[in-house]
Amino acid sequence: MNILFIFGLFSLAVILAVVQKNEKIIRLSAGAVSIASALTIWLFVSPQFFGTEVLITEWFYLDRFGALIASLIALLSLSATIVSVRYIGHEFKDGEVKINDLKLYFTLLPLFVMAMFLVVVTNNTLIMWLALEATTLSSTFLVGLYRKRSSLEAAWKYIIICSTGITLGLIGILLLGYTSQAGADQSVSFLISDLLKNTSALSPELVKWAFVFIFVGFGAKVGFAPIHTWLPDAHSKAPSPISALFSGILLNVALYAIIRFQMIANQAIGGSEWTGKFFLFFGILSVVLPAFMLLVQRNYKRMLAYSSIEHMGLIALGLALPPIGVMAAVIHMIGHSIIKSGLFFGAGEILLRYKTTDTTKVGGLLKYAPYTSSLFLIGIIFIVAMPPSILFVSEFTLFSAMIKAHLYLSIAVFIALGVIAFGMLRTTIGMILEKANTTDLNETREHWNITHSVMLVHIIAVILLGVWFTSSSGTGFVVDIIKNLS
Amino acid sequence: MNSFQILATILQGLTILLVAPFSVGLVRFTKARLQGRRGASPFLPYYTILTLLKKEMVISKSTSWVFRAVPFVVLASTIALAFILPLVFSGGALAFASDFLVVAAFMIVGSIFLVLGGLDSASAFGGMGSSREMTLASLIEPTVILIFGALAFVTGSFQLDGMFAQSLIFSAPHLIILMIAFVLVSLAENARYPVDNPATHLELTMVHEAMILEYSGRYLALLEYASAIKLAAFSILIANFVFPPVTIFSLSVGGGILAILLAILKVSMVAVLLGWLEMTIVKMRFYRMPEYLSLAFFTAFFGMMVAVYVKLTGPDIKYYTVFAAMSVFFVVLLFGRLRLKSILRYYAASSLMIAGIAYSLALMAPEEQTHLLIFAVVTIAVKVLLVPYVIKIMEKQQRHTANLQSFLRPASSYLLAALLLVFVFFIVQKTPIFALVEWSSLLFASVGLLVLGLATMIVHRNVFSQIIGLLVVENGIAIFTLVTVKSLPLIIEMGVFTVTALTALILSLLGSRIKYFYGSVDTEELRNLTE
Repeated sequence: MNILFIFGLFSLAVILAVVQKNEKIIRLSAGAVSIASALTIWLFVSPQFFGTEVLITEWFYLDRFGALIASLIALLSLSATIVSVRYIGHEFKDGEVKINDLKLYFTLLPLFVMAMFLVVVTNNTLIMWLALEATTLSSTFLVGLYRKRSSLEAAWKYIIICSTGITLGLIGILLLGYTSQAGADQSVSFLISDLLKNTSALSPELVKWAFVFIFVGFGAKVGFAPIHTWLPDAHSKAPSPISALFSGILLNVALYAIIRFQMIANQAIGGSEWTGKFFLFFGILSVVLPAFMLLVQRNYKRMLAYSSIEHMGLIALGLALPPIGVMAAVIHMIGHSIIKSGLFFGAGEILLRYKTTDTTKVGGLLKYAPYTSSLFLIGIIFIVAMPPSILFVSEFTLFSAMIKAHLYLSIAVFIALGVIAFGMLRTTIGMILEKANTTDLNETREHWNITHSVMLVHIIAVILLGVWFTSSSGTGFVVDIIKNLS
Repeated sequence: MNSFQILATILQGLTILLVAPFSVGLVRFTKARLQGRRGASPFLPYYTILTLLKKEMVISKSTSWVFRAVPFVVLASTIALAFILPLVFSGGALAFASDFLVVAAFMIVGSIFLVLGGLDSASAFGGMGSSREMTLASLIEPTVILIFGALAFVTGSFQLDGMFAQSLIFSAPHLIILMIAFVLVSLAENARYPVDNPATHLELTMVHEAMILEYSGRYLALLEYASAIKLAAFSILIANFVFPPVTIFSLSVGGGILAILLAILKVSMVAVLLGWLEMTIVKMRFYRMPEYLSLAFFTAFFGMMVAVYVKLTGPDIKYYTVFAAMSVFFVVLLFGRLRLKSILRYYAASSLMIAGIAYSLALMAPEEQTHLLIFAVVTIAVKVLLVPYVIKIMEKQQRHTANLQSFLRPASSYLLAALLLVFVFFIVQKTPIFALVEWSSLLFASVGLLVLGLATMIVHRNVFSQIIGLLVVENGIAIFTLVTVKSLPLIIEMGVFTVTALTALILSLLGSRIKYFYGSVDTEELRNLTE
């Protein structure tokens, strides 16, 4: 599948959203085009997804890990667009968004997805940087879509923190390119493949400096703990499909960029201990800090956002412990993407019905919205890693590696996970079973709609994947992925 | 000391004494013309002084002999300046007396007597003017010492005569920072805009005019004449930073006449510029004076640091170093400002200096020439013109003009900036990259911009300054690109510029909406989402 064809489809989606006047046609055409573009993305990456061959050209660097992330982009962008068609249509009917905002939404959404896709497939680190910056720029007004104070505040924090971080990351990339010049052939190269090939020529000292800048800079976008402040705000104020995309895939895309540079740094330094320390430190912080926040959380979208920080922390912990931990991290990435996006779709349904994100005002979900509530509850059970969730598989694997390496830290993380599970389940069960606390309650019984179907598909996918990853073929698949990563 | 030198000194003194009223008249004339008035003849001050000399004096009975001595002391001190400073000629008979501390002493004697004269009559206005004059003098003094101390260090001479013997700016371009500082203090010292209003006795904020309010007739003529001489002397001194005075040893009759004509030309040039300046700016409120003079002080301090660094590391100073220093300098100015208009202006100036860096590198590296020239041109188009324009337009959309909020007062901002720069200077030398790069001054500038940009985002707690802070960080990285890999592939370079422009656009659009919904741009208000 030609890459230009994919970009052509995205451009088509943008053009359709810009020129169309009728909101229904905009929504439906956006949905139709996004199905096509998701399929083409998947076709583009499928040779690498099923084979172990690495695609290296001047423009592309795509191994099985990249193909996996790209497939997740395809899947989640498809789900998110389908949910958007309903969600934004509903908001339009309620008068929450005007026609211009709606057009803006469906213009920016394909651009956002395209930028994320570009991060994953490109071979040039500078194009990767541009694309990562483009994800921030294109999604700022997706976060600040509603013309309200709180949305603007969230969008402001998001763009300021992420732009600054990514801008600092550029220093790291430039340093890497510069140190590659000091090598044998005196030419500056910013290609990932060239950097990987000539790692012996890179000066370890400079590579360390470069990695610090890249890790801290891009880490802001991943949402690692001390620099996570934009994340709960942006997730809670963005429209739910966007929150789903952010949590499910944007964080992973930023992490993908860090992992690529970690590969280079590991080879240049000779070993993964040095880079592993970063992942360990930020991972621990990112798991422990949300545990406190989740105990006192009274906003279910923020609750999901803090949970995303926690899961990014777990993935980082996995990456610090190769090779078993990396395996766990990859499985965790897949599972978290699919479950968390489904949960945000569910949160969107709750928000549409109750018009509030305050958990104390939401009640009686089981009575008024049985489909949403049961799917949401299953999602929450899965996200706190209870079996048969795929996350149980990954966290089990992670701890099997971690207890051996860092016993006391594992205990701390274990306690934090327990607290998180307690906090999230308490809040959710309260929402589902307690009496509603608002006066203007929408008491109409809900019907099965497209969002429920999407959530159901996500849940079934997660169960099947969880079973598959415990089998030998699934394990072999992951082992092939991490072969390229270490 | 030969007769030539004595002759030259006498000639110089007489020239200054004759030209002085003309310089005052020319400033007023230029200002009037630029404001669309016809204005009085530039020679009017001669008639004014002559008329005043014929008029009767009214002297308050409550004054003492001090009051009567003041005009003579003030005039004598300025006449002394006209004779000893290297204005028309350098190396004159009194050159030995032009040690910068002696010159400062002459100036301060004049000021002190002026202050005493203001106090002596015991009128309210005089006392007020005197008090203000002393406040200003105490703020001006350290800056003057810094400037001339740095010049003495660079030129190896304590006498102004030796300092101005060669062309300062052309031989050492980085000294332009000291020249800017000198212009700033000269404006204050001569009671011009924006420190004082020389045109009126009536304004409550006046300084110099308040002190001489009680004088009339002949004494007033003497004081007016003294301030005219001081203005002429300072005008020529500023011009001498660029075009040195004629050295005495090459003197012939024709040369002497030429030197005098040159001096008159310098006075006229500076007077016209001063008139233009007074047309464009307004007087500051008095309590903003410390801000202005701390700016002057910091400029001098920065100029001194650059001068000392250059002097110690080697005499080979390149243009890109000057541009780099200037780009940092403008950001330091930006750091202390609280009005969006001036912040944008300094950001544009700093970006222009980056284009200058690229241009001067292009002259040195022929193989990268076209690329660097394109970089310079696009930098000017995007960062000097487009981005400030976009931000200004967006800010204008919501009417709400007040100072932008900051955690620090301007003076402490400058201090913080200076500390950060010193910190950067020592840290950068410790990094491994320092040993590898070819142009270390650019590395300092790049890291300096980075740190100052981040500091701006932290210290200025308002939306628009944070945007500029981010853009300054990007400027720092642009210099970093130049210093490490010299040039990126063209398509990437354009991509980076597009990202910069889009960032500015989106951020300022967001800022404009925040202004609309919050009614302010204070980021302290953006703290609601904390549950």
